[in-house]
Amino acid sequence: MRIKEGFELRDICGEHVVVAHGRGNIDFSKIISLNESAAYLWHKVQGQDFDAAMLARLLTEEYEVDEATALRDAEKTMQDWRGAGMAE
Amino acid sequence: MELPNDKLLPLVRQYVAEGEHVIISVKGYSMRPFLEHLRDRVKLSPWTELQVGDAVLAEIAPGHFVLHRIIEIRQGRELTLMGDGNICGTEPCTIDDVCGVVTEYLRPNGHVLYASDKKLQKRIRLWRRLLPIRRALLFLYRLTIDERA
Repeated sequence: MRIKEGFELRDICGEHVVVAHGRGNIDFSKIISLNESAAYLWHKVQGQDFDAAMLARLLTEEYEVDEATALRDAEKTMQDWRGAGMAE
Repeated sequence: MELPNDKLLPLVRQYVAEGEHVIISVKGYSMRPFLEHLRDRVKLSPWTELQVGDAVLAEIAPGHFVLHRIIEIRQGRELTLMGDGNICGTEPCTIDDVCGVVTEYLRPNGHVLYASDKKLQKRIRLWRRLLPIRRALLFLYRLTIDERA
């Protein structure tokens, strides 16, 4: 999986918000809020291919979480990103 | 998610001032029949010159934003705004209060109506001239919208 071109993570009013940024405009009508760990993952994998195992490893490196939980969270994150059209 | 207007619109002002084009969802009914609440989106752009008939996002008082149309320009900088869907009530402001001008009307089916479109501009002028009977026209418009909903 890979984060699609045209999406960028911004810190808006203290929130991690993904906005569509394409054709020279910022689209505030389609914004997605990310929690702390999803924003961390986004920064880590932006611009590269990734899979659930890679995300899970990043989570265990940064947070005190067991591998099974990290993998579940990673799969959920990927599902959310795909569902929101931000990754493919 | 949706950012509340009190957080979103100051950002829009900032980004447009930096030269960005910003798309926002329309909230409210005051720009009927040209813009519909939560159905349409608009692209707001930086501007160099404003004209009567332009729809603008303006901060008419600190923290109070409206997306309304310019109906009068005096001395090049004093503006009067009015919502297309309003029967009466105007907002005085200056060009310094304008945060961005609507350059595109974005419909949910993907259709883009450009503010520079001559037919649109003609319809806007006609709508302005029909102000004396606007209440009745808006009533009929609401009926058609309600039927479709």
